Amino acid sequence: MSRQVFVRRHPFSTFLLILLIALLGWIWHERVALWAFPDIISAYTAKEYCSCRYVMGNDAGYCHSYVKQWLPTSGFIDDPAGKRITVSGMGRSNSAQWMGERQGCRLLP
Amino acid sequence: MPNGLSLICMLLLSLPASAENWPAEQWPTGPTITGPALQALETYAFPPRSEATREGIRTDALLVVRDGQLIYERYAGPTNADTPHLTWSISKSLMATLLGVAYGEGLFKLQDPAARFYPPLKKHPDMSIADLLHWASGLDWQEDYEYAPLKSSVVAMLYTRGRGDMAAFTADHGQYSAPGHAFRYSSGDSNLLAAALKNMVGPSRYADYPWTALFEPLGIRHAVWETDATGTFVASSYAYLTARDLARIGLLMARDGRWGDRQLLPRDWVAFNREPFARFQPGQDEAVPGGHWWLNRAVGGASQPWPDAPADTFAALGHWGQAMYVIPGEKLVIVRYGDDRDGSYRHNELLKLALKAFAGKVQP
Repeated sequence: MSRQVFVRRHPFSTFLLILLIALLGWIWHERVALWAFPDIISAYTAKEYCSCRYVMGNDAGYCHSYVKQWLPTSGFIDDPAGKRITVSGMGRSNSAQWMGERQGCRLLP
Repeated sequence: MPNGLSLICMLLLSLPASAENWPAEQWPTGPTITGPALQALETYAFPPRSEATREGIRTDALLVVRDGQLIYERYAGPTNADTPHLTWSISKSLMATLLGVAYGEGLFKLQDPAARFYPPLKKHPDMSIADLLHWASGLDWQEDYEYAPLKSSVVAMLYTRGRGDMAAFTADHGQYSAPGHAFRYSSGDSNLLAAALKNMVGPSRYADYPWTALFEPLGIRHAVWETDATGTFVASSYAYLTARDLARIGLLMARDGRWGDRQLLPRDWVAFNREPFARFQPGQDEAVPGGHWWLNRAVGGASQPWPDAPADTFAALGHWGQAMYVIPGEKLVIVRYGDDRDGSYRHNELLKLALKAFAGKVQP
């Protein structure tokens, strides 16, 4: 069966195949950004909460609403003694810590 | 005929009238402003506020300095006079001001290649410090914050792939234009400047340099400037100052880089900050870029970005409504902190109402 015949007999499958190849190509092309993407929500929440709470000195309730985004987070831990925030979301976990009076907060590696 | 003693007394009495006002530990205060123009400003800036919907104009702080005197301040939400508020991209203009002190020390020239101070840029040998200050590095950067999170260079820089070393992450971007040829707003360019400053002043001075070179001379006591894991200041985003302290930077800029009798920033440095970038095309951004400050200038046949404010108005602007407007001709510095989560806040509207309330009343 030649290629032309396959395309004529299975136009829908051909279309799906092309779509799949395009999708895989896009995933490969964006693999670095896609791999990092799930970290955004937990890293953002940990860092900006840490700075809201320990740099700007706002209360915990306000800071929770301040960092709220449309993506859900889970497992929020604020260790006030160490001024360290750990947040999970989209299967990743990130921590930020207050480093000092001038340095404020920073995401931990 | 007056004797010597009364002459001295007359001289002393006449001094306060001609002397400039400068903040010491606290700002000197001026006459309290009241009236319908102020009410209109407050109605615009401080509407009822909901933490649940986060809609509309949400001003955290509004502070006005006229002729070196604090004449108005009001706070809302959790912010008060002692809150070191996140300035977001106002930090970029603060970095430019800090670089101005280093420039005054003779540590670099505007046309110096950036790679001289930040070697990872050696694949871009033609990129100058001036290009970075114009947001014209030519690097293929994507600034979108919230609408294109996958492709956003700035989100990746702050929170994921770039957070360990933001300047190196920026330098790894490809080139889309020759340096200095096109404006493209980039937080990466600001962090390349922060990394370059490290070698300009030397690693031993760098960690304290914002405080020793800029904040302490101005009497700023509570500034925070966060760094990445390599210790490079996040010049794009993460400086925190009280509204009163940020206004000190504004007064420094309003008076052409002079603080008291000390010319902290060379006058030609401030002139560069306030000169429109010649390759900017109208519509590329909401205001006209100068040297890491935003200008209210009519360029390229377009009208002024903020038509109700004087043409000498310039500003430092940040995400979620952070703004500091400097209007030298009116001797005004206006700091506005906010937490605007939609785009309803308008610089021109705030400026128009503030000018009605506060301008044109400087005593000769």
